[in-house]
Amino acid sequence: MSKRGYNKRHGKSKQSNPAVGDRAKEVLSNIDENNEVIKMFLVFSKELDDKHDRYERIVKLSRDITIESKRIIFALHSTSTDMEDKKQSVFEDVHTRLENLMLKNFKQIAIELKGHDPHLYHKAFTSGMQEFIEALAFYQYLKYGEIQAWEKINKNFIYDDENITLFFSHYDFILGIADLTGELMRRCINNLGIGNIEDCFRLCDCVKYINTGFLGTMAPGHKEIGRKVYTLKQSLAKMELVCYNLKIRGSEIPKHMLVAVLETQQEMNNEEDDEGFY
Amino acid sequence: MDNTNIIITNIFKPFQDHINAEQDIREEIRNIIKDIDKPLREIVTQLQVIHHKENSDQINIACLKSRELFEDVRIGFSKLDKIIPDGQYYRYNDHWRFATQRLSFLSALIVFLEKGFLIDKDTAADMIGFNNTLRLHLDIEDYLMGLLNLATELSRLAVNSVTYGNFSRPLEISKFVAELNAGFRLLNLKNDSLRKRFDVLKYDVKKIEEVVYDLSIRGLLPDGNTNAAADNNGET
Repeated sequence: MSKRGYNKRHGKSKQSNPAVGDRAKEVLSNIDENNEVIKMFLVFSKELDDKHDRYERIVKLSRDITIESKRIIFALHSTSTDMEDKKQSVFEDVHTRLENLMLKNFKQIAIELKGHDPHLYHKAFTSGMQEFIEALAFYQYLKYGEIQAWEKINKNFIYDDENITLFFSHYDFILGIADLTGELMRRCINNLGIGNIEDCFRLCDCVKYINTGFLGTMAPGHKEIGRKVYTLKQSLAKMELVCYNLKIRGSEIPKHMLVAVLETQQEMNNEEDDEGFY
Repeated sequence: MDNTNIIITNIFKPFQDHINAEQDIREEIRNIIKDIDKPLREIVTQLQVIHHKENSDQINIACLKSRELFEDVRIGFSKLDKIIPDGQYYRYNDHWRFATQRLSFLSALIVFLEKGFLIDKDTAADMIGFNNTLRLHLDIEDYLMGLLNLATELSRLAVNSVTYGNFSRPLEISKFVAELNAGFRLLNLKNDSLRKRFDVLKYDVKKIEEVVYDLSIRGLLPDGNTNAAADNNGET
């Protein structure tokens, strides 16, 4: 026990009532900045603040990416039209916007992460990354009919000029693909509306394969995948129902009425509707 | 098969390979952590002696033995250091976070018992075996978590010290924990687990103060403090 400690207690006796809490307050007020403990904690404080601030900055960047990605997906839905010109111009527009995200927004995140363990900040940008993958894969699927492998997409996140690489998690990729199925389902229903029946079967097929892929995947300890697969199954069920109805009643009712029929059927399980993310 | 099957080969196959590789590393990590957990539990058991009858010899022996056991911990972490890939500390750190927090606590407790002051982060890292490693380090939040655990343990020690007749130790603890509390107040904590754990600190502080208060109103505090308490009694 130091001498200073005793003095403190002496000083205390002048106060009227030694209620609980007084002592702590008193020690607090007597501690100055030369105290070893305080000096240590001032350093910790800086370190923690730095960590939190960086995290928040990345969250912000990620949020912008999410918003832009959602808009891109919305734009892509407008390509379910017969007008080839319009389609191509949307694709072009989307292409530049996707490039922009990779070259600007994601690069900023990569710069923030320079010299830091990306896994520590992964949670801050995982949602933006997933949404982006969803948009990118949707674009690739609509335009080329296939989705690039992780390896290929990963190349976009290597920024040679700054000599940095953005950490692109396999999980984010696969979760983005899971989200994509929701869009494919929506696209399938839209196609039905405009009478593009062949596409419906094609989309349904694609989602079936994605579902197969998830069934064959074992990812212990990853709850998010489980949640998304649940949504995926619901989307798939809707699409399979669409295809079934197309086949069985396709010749009976006019196409625009088919949509109405399907909508009533789907209202039943509409409550637990898709978009499990967020 | 048409080209949609590419989805399986292109997307899911590499993903599964990735997961498999990750699982292999995790398995190795788990095995090493088991080796670390064993000395850890032994240290915990050793140090419980402080809550029994006052016997400073025994406490010293417990501290020495614990320090020996820390050697095993360090061996474990040096093994772990070799299998964690570069820059992926936080990918796997869930596996050893809890152990690290407890070890920070234990090293802090030993230093408090031996010297009476607060362990600094480097010393704690040294004791756990993080300082000569390439990829591992003592995470600041784990260290702080350990200090909060220390405060809880000390509040228990304050009570038990009184029981076995050591009336000066609660005062030491009171000052120590008050300083710790002051330190923590300088931190801007996010709404995370550390913050939740910090919220418990005030109860520890309160408990310790109650013990000191009980001693002071009965005039049981050693030398100078007895007078202070007596003065207090006279005034109120």
